[in-house]
Amino acid sequence: MATNYYLPEDSAPLPPKHADVLTTACDYCIVACGYKVYRWPVGSGDGGPMASENAFNQDFPASALQNWVAPAQHNVVIHNGRPHNVIVVPDKDTEAVNKNGDSSMRGGLLAAKCYNPKTPTRDRLTNPLVRINGTLQPVSWDFALDIAAEVGRYVIKNHGANAYSVKTFSYQYLENTYAIKKYARRNVNTASFTFHDTPSDVTSTPGFRDAGFDNFGPSYDDWGDADVLQIHGTDPYETKTIIYTQFIKPAIERGMKTIWLNPRETAGIAYANSKGPDQTIHFQLTLGTDTVLMGAIARVICENGWEDSDWVKNWVNSKWETSSGFGQGTRNTPWQWRTTWGMFQVKGGFKGYSKWVQSKDEYKVENAAKICDVPAADIIKAAEWLTNKGKGTKASFGIEKGYYWSNNTGNTNAVSSLATICGAGGRPGQVVGRFGGHQRGGAGGGSYPRNKSPEKRPGRRRRSLDTDRYLISGHTRFAHVIGTTWIQAMTGSQSLYSKFHELVLANPNQVNSYDKQEIIETLKRRADSGGMVVINQDIYLRDPIGARFADVIFPAATWGETDFTRSNGERRLRIYNQFYDAPGQAKPDWWIIAGMASRMGYEGFDWKNANEVAEESSRSSRGNRKAYHMVKVAAHREGKTFHEKMREFGTTGIQGPTVYNYKTGELTGTKRLHDTTITEEMCEKRGVYQGANMTNKKMTHFNSQTGKVNIQKHPWKLFSDFHEWLSPKGDELWFSNGRINEIWQSGFDDVERRPYVTQRWPENWVEIHPDDAKARGIESGDQVMLYSDRVVESKDTILGVHGDDFQFSTLMKNGHLKFTKAAVTAVAVIAPHLKKGMMYGNMLDMRQPNNSLQNRVVDQISGNYNYKMGVAKVKKIGESQYKKEFRSMSWAPRNVI
Amino acid sequence: MSESVTIGKKSREDQTAGEHGKCMLNRRQFLMYSGATAATASTVSLTLFPGTAKAAQAKARVVGYPRKLVGKLSEMKDNVPAVINYPDDGKNSMATMVKTGVKCGGGVGAQRDLVAFSALCTHQGGPLLGRYRVVDEHRIMGSCPLHLSTYDVTRHGIIISGQAYESLPQVLLELDGDDIYAVGMMGLIYGRNQNLMSDTTES
Repeated sequence: MATNYYLPEDSAPLPPKHADVLTTACDYCIVACGYKVYRWPVGSGDGGPMASENAFNQDFPASALQNWVAPAQHNVVIHNGRPHNVIVVPDKDTEAVNKNGDSSMRGGLLAAKCYNPKTPTRDRLTNPLVRINGTLQPVSWDFALDIAAEVGRYVIKNHGANAYSVKTFSYQYLENTYAIKKYARRNVNTASFTFHDTPSDVTSTPGFRDAGFDNFGPSYDDWGDADVLQIHGTDPYETKTIIYTQFIKPAIERGMKTIWLNPRETAGIAYANSKGPDQTIHFQLTLGTDTVLMGAIARVICENGWEDSDWVKNWVNSKWETSSGFGQGTRNTPWQWRTTWGMFQVKGGFKGYSKWVQSKDEYKVENAAKICDVPAADIIKAAEWLTNKGKGTKASFGIEKGYYWSNNTGNTNAVSSLATICGAGGRPGQVVGRFGGHQRGGAGGGSYPRNKSPEKRPGRRRRSLDTDRYLISGHTRFAHVIGTTWIQAMTGSQSLYSKFHELVLANPNQVNSYDKQEIIETLKRRADSGGMVVINQDIYLRDPIGARFADVIFPAATWGETDFTRSNGERRLRIYNQFYDAPGQAKPDWWIIAGMASRMGYEGFDWKNANEVAEESSRSSRGNRKAYHMVKVAAHREGKTFHEKMREFGTTGIQGPTVYNYKTGELTGTKRLHDTTITEEMCEKRGVYQGANMTNKKMTHFNSQTGKVNIQKHPWKLFSDFHEWLSPKGDELWFSNGRINEIWQSGFDDVERRPYVTQRWPENWVEIHPDDAKARGIESGDQVMLYSDRVVESKDTILGVHGDDFQFSTLMKNGHLKFTKAAVTAVAVIAPHLKKGMMYGNMLDMRQPNNSLQNRVVDQISGNYNYKMGVAKVKKIGESQYKKEFRSMSWAPRNVI
Repeated sequence: MSESVTIGKKSREDQTAGEHGKCMLNRRQFLMYSGATAATASTVSLTLFPGTAKAAQAKARVVGYPRKLVGKLSEMKDNVPAVINYPDDGKNSMATMVKTGVKCGGGVGAQRDLVAFSALCTHQGGPLLGRYRVVDEHRIMGSCPLHLSTYDVTRHGIIISGQAYESLPQVLLELDGDDIYAVGMMGLIYGRNQNLMSDTTES
């Protein structure tokens, strides 16, 4: 890796009047702030400090909140073959998201991600590579694609489509994801297909899906329009920064109450806590007990009759309304065939739920307080706040990974039911949703061939193939990995690494020829002998997936290097304009996929540019949350392309689903989904029912057969045996992991190449509570070993037969799980803002992946990993270099306000 | 640790700078790599200014930093900040000088605990005057009232938590007997395009 020191500079060029100005949005987190790119040729003269001398039309020195250029916001790139200065700064004129030009640290450093061989980006992949005699060597596109495609085709023919596994990002622009899905799902037609953050292609929020809530229904305004906002498993200041600073913080200043479920107190929570216990409740609960806390709050509400009675009367399904196809209707076959519904279906609508939640001992306040380790009085206070003791209030509920990746099904069921009885879900300021992780760049290019999956729940329903279990079982012969590490991003990473090693490197069939046909034959022999061939598309060489395992590497072009389209966490679609030349021979992923597809003999991949892909994909968006088909319709009627039309919307973009009024020619976006205050007349006026418009019931109703909410049970017993087994024994501590503001959602890209970030967080770190640290003789800056011999992992691909076959204790009893050891090192940070008895580490340092210590056993209903809960022991192994120097890291707490 | 360690290993850029500038660059390296890793400074100095054009600009600016009397050591009480202006009295020049009572990167005085930092948050220019905090052994500037960024005063103003894309600019201090002099600046002051601006006289 390139040298990567942060050395503060004391000047930055201002863009001159003659600079080109282009809009884009941040490449990183879900919020997707609007940015402007100023570009001018090197040597053509920089701007001056007078308003008459610069492109900002502003005098310098600037005042607070005005345009300013930090040194790291400038870079030099190649545009049309010539060097150009670029400045990437938050758009002060934007009307949405980062109003007034607010920005996060990640977005603030966007300019640094541009390829420039003088910076740490110099190791960008710029050539296709083929591994010959153990070394990745530059080759032509034809050479690399011919090999990959012929071996891939051979594997499909001789070992079946499921032997061709595709592991891909879900988010990196709809042009790419459309091409990838069209290739992998429609044409290869493999069930061994999944995204970067899950072993199988499943919903992240099963409880939302079953209730009828879209993950991203709310608008950002809604988060600030509530009277009470309950935030689960995240501090949006740390992650989703601008939602916090632009929407939540001003609302807290106005008096909005907040309720937090988070074992840490980071800055956003500390700020809320600074308003005192009459405005803030902070549940620092034991990891994985959220379902119990939700149940207890719901129980208090039900016991007192504080529910929003009008809402539950009008908007909650009765039992018979939920009987057909899981409440989704008989035509929806996958639902119909799911046989676990009885565990969640409520008999008698709200009344049935009320009766059920009051029948469960674990949801009694005093019991829940004990299980969750939180004050009982706060549970009652939360119930009072969320309902204003039955007098009604505006309550909203936002969740993220700390919540839904700890008891995935139970937690998402529980929040759906609690929100529903509080009247949330379908009105302004009364919403339910995810805050979000990556931006939403998925587009449908083909449906998942579920019936080809060999995995099945007890009963009749097949479940999506678990690509990790399948690989561990030795069935995967060809791994096509696109923009993800695969290994470190999954739990139990170290044994997954061992299996990759066995299948790829320990196999005797290694390429030692420069002859294309000989290379192909060698790789075919590897697949035939039970080994695995790996091809990898990415922007940097990742270790180990690319650096150690890949036989063929395809260099990808990314943000700023070609035109792309994507939406954010409130379904806001923007174009991300190309503003410089992709490095070397790097090509966008859709182009690479097209090269594979045409060689495999698949038709319909002859796109000439990104706009053609986007236009082809628009049809598949109809009816979904970010439906952009009507943008294309409008564009074509105006004689423009889709991308040209999107460009007109600048950083403000347009919120999906988009609606085109054929009579007035007006194209409009949709502020929120499930908005029950929208009438049919309003829709009519907007043009919702005209022509090719198709919005589905989610615009004004919920995603169920009747359009009403399925209130659900959230049985603790589905998870309690695992929780009990996992709970720390002896010297163990809980070990969770997650994002941190300075790194959040840039790890997939260039985090280790931005000097300021690597100075702050140069390597893996772990927060330890002062009491736990003292007991183990650990101080801030010590190097520690985190280790466990109690990491359990699924060892085979199995079929469920009996009802409880996938219950953790049954899997254990029947020998489907095995114990493995794992260890990672980290730099200790003593953190008084953390709950005692737990540790918290970086979500993914590729060199020391904390996921190694998380169990590789999936949620029995959904198939997701519960990434956020594990246990580990910790011991000091020495002192890091950072302990006594002043250059890197900081030991100061994150909750100082 | 003395400055002679770094003077002996100066880079080509250093040698071509003026006499004062040479001193400045070495002082910058010394401050930046003080503590356990000071010995690595010589290898680092080669990458100080990766772009050739930038390197030239940097030298020119460094040469120009004024040496300015900003206070008396005997008048500084532990953890009671003083407001100074540097490098000029123009807009955005406010800085906080504080004797922290703990050893700090770039600190001067017997305890190496006297430091000074720009009083403007480098995120969006929020005011940090009056936002110095003592929490146990930690010394913190912030949180910024605009967007809650906090900076570590003991570690060259590195971000602790928040939004800024560069450290809080540190005013380089020197002691001459009891006199405290400000002699340079690490990092760009918020709102300026260069720290030394010709037309910043009105405040």
